Amino acid sequence: MNTQALQNNLMKDKSNEAILAEHSKTIGQPFCDNPKISTRDVNVYYAENHAIQDVSLDMGQNEVIALIGPSGCGKSTYLRCLNRMNDTIDSCRVSGKFIIDDIDIYAKSQDPVLLRARVGMVFQKPNPFPKSIYDNVAYGPKIHGLTSNKAELDDLVEESLSKAGLFNEVKDRLGDSGTGLSGGQQQRLCIARTIAVQPEVILMDEPASALDPIATAKVEELINELRKNYTIVIVTHSMQQAARVSQRTAYFHLGKLIEVGETKQIFTNPLHELTERYITGRFG
Amino acid sequence: MSKNNNTSKIEKSLKRRYLKENIFKASGYASIGIAFMFLVVLLADIGIKAMPAFIQTQIELKLDLSYESLQLNPESSVAEIKKVDFRQVIRKALRKQFPDVKKRKEKKQLYSLISSGAEYQLRDMVLENKELIGNEHSFNLYADDDVDALIKGTINRKLAQSERRVKDFKISLIEVLEKNNQVSKKFNWTFFSSGDSREPELAGIKGAIMGSIYTILVTLMLSFPVAVAAAIYLEEFAPKNRMIDFIEININNLAAVPSIVFGLLGLAVFINFFSLPRSAPIVGGIVLSLMTLPTIIIASRSAIKAVPPSLREAALGLGASKMQTVFHHVFPAALPGILTGTIIGMAQALGETAPLLMIGMVAFIVDIPQTIVDPATVLPIQVFLWADSPERGFLEKTSAAILVLIGFLIIMNALAIYLRKKFEKKW
Repeated sequence: MNTQALQNNLMKDKSNEAILAEHSKTIGQPFCDNPKISTRDVNVYYAENHAIQDVSLDMGQNEVIALIGPSGCGKSTYLRCLNRMNDTIDSCRVSGKFIIDDIDIYAKSQDPVLLRARVGMVFQKPNPFPKSIYDNVAYGPKIHGLTSNKAELDDLVEESLSKAGLFNEVKDRLGDSGTGLSGGQQQRLCIARTIAVQPEVILMDEPASALDPIATAKVEELINELRKNYTIVIVTHSMQQAARVSQRTAYFHLGKLIEVGETKQIFTNPLHELTERYITGRFG
Repeated sequence: MSKNNNTSKIEKSLKRRYLKENIFKASGYASIGIAFMFLVVLLADIGIKAMPAFIQTQIELKLDLSYESLQLNPESSVAEIKKVDFRQVIRKALRKQFPDVKKRKEKKQLYSLISSGAEYQLRDMVLENKELIGNEHSFNLYADDDVDALIKGTINRKLAQSERRVKDFKISLIEVLEKNNQVSKKFNWTFFSSGDSREPELAGIKGAIMGSIYTILVTLMLSFPVAVAAAIYLEEFAPKNRMIDFIEININNLAAVPSIVFGLLGLAVFINFFSLPRSAPIVGGIVLSLMTLPTIIIASRSAIKAVPPSLREAALGLGASKMQTVFHHVFPAALPGILTGTIIGMAQALGETAPLLMIGMVAFIVDIPQTIVDPATVLPIQVFLWADSPERGFLEKTSAAILVLIGFLIIMNALAIYLRKKFEKKW
């Protein structure tokens, strides 16, 4: 700890680029016991662009981990690696180890469809299907054949909507189009749709960035609630949000994972100079 | 100080900017006005020329259908009735009405008042209602096309005799008929109920309409599934490599190939090699679907490309397979655009003439086609054929056929708009 502080002092006057060039190893606690997902030496390239460099990070059971960092730092790319959404981008190459419950995510035998049923995702912009609210939630269970009859499906839809805190608002109009809801409701519908498939991990890519403060508060409340049953990885640009919802926070900078730690510690006493500059707003 | 300076500068430039805007607006109005004017002139011209085609002149004659004159008896069979010389029945009635006409040349003029098709008209009426036999009845018979033109005023009676087709003697006969109120103008049902004919008064559009419908159906059945499948594959599944680029370029090239080349191909491959029937809607449909394929593929691809990627991500993120993503979400979202492209392609095919000339759909076909392998012609070729005919009566038929063709296109476009509205989803 002392040596770290000393090191930090030495960096005080240097530019971001200079610090980054010297940086080689993530500091803090990137690893944890009994992780849900663990990743080692992750490198991602978009054609020639080295988007993520040697990132190793664990995500614990029933933990909310926030990924923060300036735009273009690779946090969304890293998130999308966890359910192989990057497979759809032709120029993207991923290397490194991704393990979820002893299963290799990128193994040849691993079916991305099965993986995505276990690792759900909520996107930045609410993207409900242009179908009814009911069909939006029922779509996942239907394609995976999770329910055997209509009554079971009805129950699952109701349960998912209730968990997402949306059921009371829409119970009288389940047949209405999902795209007719307000932005915040749409995002909660997307969360309901994700949990209807009963995944183990939920990835959230800036889920509240398109929402107003009230809708944001509802989504954050929901995240706190969901933590009991799921592991949640959330990318966010709002540091207050990271502080409110997460237990651990990871700071990315230009494709490198700089620092990982308890959220409280990151925001009150960051170890790394770059982290400190970012959270205190002395950046760019 | 500098602020004031800027304001005055901006004010100066504002005037210039608004002037430019106004000029642009004015030229826009002018362009729309010109386009609209052309359209109105075109439609009005065709419409006015076509009007006479929907009216048919008929001449009322009292015909003697007694058993002895028809050489029949009450037990005669249908075959026997069919053999009756109805032409003589009509000629007898004409001679009876104009007993003074004796010279051979004048008689010829007299007989030519009535269409040469009137005998078949009469035969059909008698066959339909056999109770007519045995008595004298009045019938409205088709007038010959020259008489028709004279009655409608397309032939000017006041011109010198040498300058008009209908001679003075014939006009005098017609005037007698007119005085007796035997000449009437009726709505021309024949035009919509019969096939082509060498005689303008007997020629109808139904053969061409049916031919067009069969051809378009074949085209639609072939080109829609093939084009949509190709577009979906190229947009959603195909790897990005040189082979696919090559295919893409060639689809675009195909769209630019002159349509008559497709006709040559149809002649060489489908008729000569595969021995498909000549002049048949099936060959026409295949050729036209080759021609419309690129149009539909290009339109479908841009419709699929326009589907927001967030929709694909949403489905993939839930664990839908690629196929499910495409067919549950992308395809329905792209459907309005695909349908629009398809109907534009169909409209293009409907108006196409050149390739069909090559495969023999330009033949003179009287029968109305019943299946896709019967010889047929299509609306634009019917227009072409009639425009090529020397008889005066075909002038108005040509315009009327164009109106029918335009009517078809309007119906198809209306359908396109309806389908687009129906399938369009709000985001």
